[in-house]
Formats: sequence, structure tokens, C-alpha cells
Amino acid sequence: MHSARRVVVTGLGVVAPLGNDLDSFWSGLLAGRSGIDQIRRFESKGFVPPYAGEVKEFQPEQYFDKRKVIKMAGRHTQLAMAAARMSFSDARLTAEGLDAERFGIVFGTGMLRADLADIGQMARMSRGADGRFDLRLFGAVSSSKLFPLWMLRHIPNMVSSQVAISLNAQGPSNTITTTCTAGAQAIGEASRIIERGDADVIISGGSDARVDPLSLVRLRKLGLLAICQRDPQEVSRPFDIDSSGMVCAEGAAALVLEELEHARARGARIYAEVVGYGTATDAYDLVYPHPEGRGLQLAINRALTDAHLSPEAVGYINAHGASIPRYDLAEARALKTAFGKHAMRLAASSIKSMIGHAQAASGAIEAVACVKTLETGMAPPTINLRRMAPGCDLDWVPNSARQLAVEVAMSINFGFGGYNTALIFKRWSGGV
Amino acid sequence: MKRRVVITGMGAITPVGIGVDDYWRGLVNGKSGVDTISAYDASTFSTRIAAQVRDFRLEQFCAVEEPLQCADRWLQFALAAAQMAVDDAGLQPGSIDWVNCGVYLGAGEGATDLARFGESVLAASGESGQIDPRLFAEAAAGLIDPMDDLMREANMPGALIAARFGAMGYSSNSLTACAASGQAIGEAMRIIQRGDADVMIAGGAHAMTSPLDLLGFSLLSALSKRNDEPQKASRPFDAHRDGFVLGEGAGIFILEELGHALARKARIHAELVGYGLSCDAYRVTDMHPEARGAIIAIKRALADAELPPEDVDYINAHGTSTLENDRTETYAIKTTFGQRAYRIPVSSTKSMTGHLVAAAGATELIACILAIKNGVVPPTINYEFPDPECDLDYVPNEAREMKVDVALSNSFGFGGQNVALLVRSFT
Repeated sequence: MHSARRVVVTGLGVVAPLGNDLDSFWSGLLAGRSGIDQIRRFESKGFVPPYAGEVKEFQPEQYFDKRKVIKMAGRHTQLAMAAARMSFSDARLTAEGLDAERFGIVFGTGMLRADLADIGQMARMSRGADGRFDLRLFGAVSSSKLFPLWMLRHIPNMVSSQVAISLNAQGPSNTITTTCTAGAQAIGEASRIIERGDADVIISGGSDARVDPLSLVRLRKLGLLAICQRDPQEVSRPFDIDSSGMVCAEGAAALVLEELEHARARGARIYAEVVGYGTATDAYDLVYPHPEGRGLQLAINRALTDAHLSPEAVGYINAHGASIPRYDLAEARALKTAFGKHAMRLAASSIKSMIGHAQAASGAIEAVACVKTLETGMAPPTINLRRMAPGCDLDWVPNSARQLAVEVAMSINFGFGGYNTALIFKRWSGGV
Repeated sequence: MKRRVVITGMGAITPVGIGVDDYWRGLVNGKSGVDTISAYDASTFSTRIAAQVRDFRLEQFCAVEEPLQCADRWLQFALAAAQMAVDDAGLQPGSIDWVNCGVYLGAGEGATDLARFGESVLAASGESGQIDPRLFAEAAAGLIDPMDDLMREANMPGALIAARFGAMGYSSNSLTACAASGQAIGEAMRIIQRGDADVMIAGGAHAMTSPLDLLGFSLLSALSKRNDEPQKASRPFDAHRDGFVLGEGAGIFILEELGHALARKARIHAELVGYGLSCDAYRVTDMHPEARGAIIAIKRALADAELPPEDVDYINAHGTSTLENDRTETYAIKTTFGQRAYRIPVSSTKSMTGHLVAAAGATELIACILAIKNGVVPPTINYEFPDPECDLDYVPNEAREMKVDVALSNSFGFGGQNVALLVRSFT
């Protein structure tokens, strides 16, 4: 059933390994630059792996009205605030021009349950007489020494909450925690809220900042991280025969979604229309996708049904392309099944080749790239693609950006727990 | 025409009872589930009490493989409650279109394995006070089981439920603090209304009773310190309340499109008629003093249900037992319902279950539905000293027999997330 209320994208904001604003991010992608480098957040000499996609030289001060709020905001919240406020400015919105009760925030995010800076320091002071960690000591030490607002740095919905406070968004609010699809789902869920009439404007997106020793160890032990002796910029190589795993990254992106008539009434610039959202679970495994990508196929089909589009209408896909061999193969198979013969004619690229995998933020960052592709007629490349892995024989826009004037683009994501999401955007051409 | 959504299955794991029947018995008998923490030595924490689920064994509810038998508590609660709900709804493999059945939860995250984290830190700490990240990683790599750690992500309850039943429909996980599972139920209702599914599994699970949870909320001065009288610690709306008590559990529903439920002759517990959502956008730690977000959420739920405020017979309050929430919620109810507010029974079952955080909304909606079905409203226990700012009928200490046709469940989360749900009897 096509909804009477249409949803368009009127603002974009991004903070990613390639750049701390939309222009530098986009020009970096088109130039095929890699934002992956030696880790700077902690002493990474000898650390395995020593590289990640980090946001560099990020200054949170310019995005917060009060300094003390920065202190209670975890890094993922700081990045989200930056992306959200950039998208708000980009959309030329003002608090006065909005009905606060019909303005909402929906973000996807990941959480870090124990961090070295806070809980680590408390644990360090909790060595019992037998040399081991002592919970009683920990209770006493942390009750008196831990930053009292520590918990606020980690509760996931602080992302949406802080952004809502900053921009006075009193309407629907949600925080999605479906790991690697969270950012994409946030955009889909937000579009549904506008379609059904519960809000007119929603800032939606994703943020994640888990480039930390514990998160890296976990991914490494799961066998998902690339560990190889290469130039860091060449490690993330989705669909390439030599890919050995993903590169962990951080970042945030935000899209201002707006009901079409609301956008028209204020003369807003429209980047694209959100025309389809599909999501599905694999119901299969917690770590790996179903080998045929069955959930991803379902998500793609649902998004196409939602958009009333045939597979042939899709001209570009921003792929998930995690650079994990089993993931990449499942994705290629899902695309071949869902798109049939058209799969071979499709251009699909993975920007994770350049920025790494920012987990809960990735779907939102990639949605921004997808929208920019529609707007500019340029598709970013999949870099580091020298020889395609067996079964991954599609057009991944290898190594150089390509001029690609398309009407319809899709962004797909999938990940832990078997969650899959597909979003479809349509180029805006004055719009009928 | 709007597609109508009914509730055909329910499952509950709570500190006052395991299973919907036991849970209800606990509530109407005014049983407190709060006690001194026994799962670990909490003696050096300022709060040493919690509402814990006792004598729970997952194997009693569903056959599971070994790794799940040692999985974190909240994950086990979620699986057991989902199995109860599916059984209660009479759903079998092949009896519905499982591929289009979604799982929308408001599940929290698992607890941190603090002991192993702590040992890894100690192995990496020198005299200098620095923690060497490389040594930490090496120690953690040896101590921490990566699957066990991954399974503490907030989307794992939903993932496991989806896999167990082959439910591959529109699925997500909201983690909006104390509003999470109420929100998940509301969003699942919208998915059915839109026509994207006929059946949804929805609800939440959480077990914020671990040391880091206790520590975090204690430092925010949110918890009751009535350690010497655990069963009297959760006392919503009472003048001597001093904070909430952390609890744990799960509440899972089967939501179904009315025609679909009738066609398969399902037993219908109640109809889900209204969902309202808002954000205070005020402060991270405080509710808006005039409850602006809470009022918007309740009004939106009423508008969604196309019901006048006069039709609400019972309110299951968020009622956390903090000074601020109970006062502000009372104000919100009075503002929304006017003079009639004084004639609506309002009770907080958190007085008995403690605060189940992400799972609170779902378990409290079950209480609303059982109030409708049984013609009894559960009490607010430990209500002894009236607070002049909380002057409604809180159903003090004793359950009350009364006819309930429409019930409202409020969930107001940390960070200003507000959800209101309305259920109505189905005859």
C-alpha cells in the first residue's frame, strides 16, 4: 500500500574517517581515498590489528552549547550530535520554524559496556590481597571515585536524547540497537513515522565509536577482523580474493527526513525521496549471514514491494561489502537471486573499502553516500579490488568513481544476529 | 479502514512470578519481589537490594542447546517468555506464515562480565597507573569468550527468538531506556496496521541487576537505599519514597491482526488500541517539571485510540518510586484527565516487581490486560504516608475488584522518552 504522505531527504550531515563534514567526506569517496590508518585513540604500537577507520581531529565543542554536556556524552553521542547538527543546518531548519511536537529524532547506535578509561581505571584499583580482581574493593572504589554521570556516557538512547534536547525535538524518538543494521533501520523506522503522520520532520541516522581495545579483541577473536601485513589503506578490500576480514571504524551520519508538503511549503532543497524500506531476519546464525543471504533477499524484496518498483528499476546499490569473505559471498548471492539477470548490469560499490566498518553507523553513512550518488550522478568506487573473489562476480565499480546518472538507488546492510535492511532512494527531479 | 490489532499470546518472567498466572497471583496478593542481592557480594555498594527472578530454569520452558543454558540471564528470560507467548497463542510451526512474522523487541543489553574484564585490566596495569592496551587485549583474548560477549548485544534476544521460530518479518530492537518495550509493542502494532505483517512477536527483556548497573544508577542517586527493609524499598507515590529498585525479567506478546486471529479461532486477550510517543527534550537526567512529554504521549495514545479521556478505567503508572517521577506523573495524569483523574485507580506494580527498565513496559501491559480480564486491579504496595503532591487513588496495598474496560500503561524513560499504550477488553 503506497502511503499518501511522501518522505524526502532535505539535509545531510556526516563525520567519518574520510572527513568531518559532508564535502570532505564525499570528495574523499570520489577520489577513492582511504581513511584507514594506524590507530591513534590509544597506544597501538604492537596492537593487533594496529589499524582502524578513525575520525580524526574531531572538535566536539562546536556542536555543543554547554561544555559540561560534552563530558557526559560518550564519543558516539558527540559524533551523532555533530552529524545531526550539520544535517539540521544543511536543511536550513531553525527551531523557531518547526512544530517541536512533530519533530523527532531516531538514531541507531552501538554501546560499549565497559571502557578502559572509566571502568578500567576503577578495576585497576580493585586488586585484592590475593592479587585478583576483588568485587568488594571495586564497589568501594568506584562508589567514591567514578565520574558520577559515567552511566550517561553509555546508555544508548542518550544519543537521541541529547540531540533532541539540543534541537528541542519533542516528537517521536527512538534508538535502534540492531548492531550493523541499526543506522539503516533508524532511517527506515523514521520514514515510517513520518508516513503514518506521527511527525513531519525527523533527524535519523547512526553513530558508533567502538575503536577500543575490548571491542577490537572481540571482533578479532570472532575471526572477523582483517589481520595482515599490508599498508593500512589496503586492508579493507570487499569482494577481493585477498580480503581477510573487516576493518573496524567509527563515525556518524544524519539525514533530515521530511514530509514532502512540509518541505515544499518552506521551499527546502530536496536531495532525494525515500521510497522503500524493507527489513528481515535470517533466523539462522548470530555471527554469519545465511550462505544464500536469504534474509537480505527478503529485505530487498520487501523494500521493492514497498516502493512499487521492479528490480530492474534499481540503477545503483551501495553494498554492505564488509570485506569479510563469508559476508561478501552471501551478499553477492543475495543480489544475484533478488535481481536475477539485472544483477549483472547493476553498479554496486562498498565504501567500507575506504572508511572501514562503522557498525551501527555504517548504514547511515552509506545512506548519505547513496543519496549523494543520486544527487551528483557519481558513484563512489570499491577500492582495493584487484581480483574478484569466487562467486563475487558483479560490477563493484572497482577502484575509480564512475559517472552514473540513475533514478533509483538502494543501500543494503546486514550483520550480527542476522538482521538485514534495504533502503530505496529516488532521485529528486521536481517530483511527481 | 484501520487494521485492528489484538493480543493473542503473553509470556512473563518477573521477580514476583514466573509465567503469566504466577505473575498475576504475585501482583494481586501484593507480593514484593525485592530482596538483598544474592547473585554476588554487593556489600560495598550503597544499594544492596534488587528484585531478582528466582528459581528460574530455562530448560523448564524450552529445549535449548547447551550454550544457551549458560547465557546471560536476560537472554534466557526473553527466550522463555517468547516460548510462553507462542504456546499461549497456540502457534505451531506451519500454523502461520512465519516468514512474514516479525520480532520487534525493546530488549536491553546483557551484563558485563566484570570479573574477566577486571582480571584483564589487572594483567595490563603497571605501577604507573596506566593500562597497557596491548597487554589488556592479550589478557582479554585469553579470558573472554567472544561468542559469550557477542551474545550480550541488545539485539540478541530478538535474533534468537527469530531463529527459534523462523520469524523473518520486519524486526528491530528499540533501546529507549525504561520506555523500550512499550515502544517496541507500539511499533509492532504499527507494522501490523500498515499491513507489513499479520503476526508480530513484541516485548522486551532486561536484567539490570549486575554490579555495573547498580553502580551506575547509584551514582546518579536514582536508587533506594532502604537496604534494611528490602520489601519496603519500592514505594511509589508514598511520601517516604527514596528511589527505585532495580528488577529483572521479560514480557513478550503475540500481536495479531484481528481478522487473522478470528480466522484461526485464536483466543483474544484484549485489543491494543492506542500508542503515543514523545520526547521531553528537556534534560538528560530530569523529567520536564510540567511533564510536557508525558502529557503529549498520553494524549497521542488517546487520539490514536479515538477514545475520550473519560473512557480510561485504570492506569498502570510508570510509578518508579523516585521523588521526581511520581510527582511529575501525578501532575501529568491530572493535567490530562482533569477532575476525573481523582476517580481513576492508578497503581504502580513496580512497588512489587521493582523497575524492570527496558522490560517494564511489556510486563506492565500484561498487568493491564489481566486487570481487564479478571476484573481486578493490582495494588501499589508500601503505600503508607500520603504525599500532598501525589493525591490520586493509588489503589493502596490491596488489590481491588472492579470492572475495567480500558487501561492505560505509561512508560517514561531516562533521557525523556515517553510511551503510552492503551488496551481495551475484547468481547
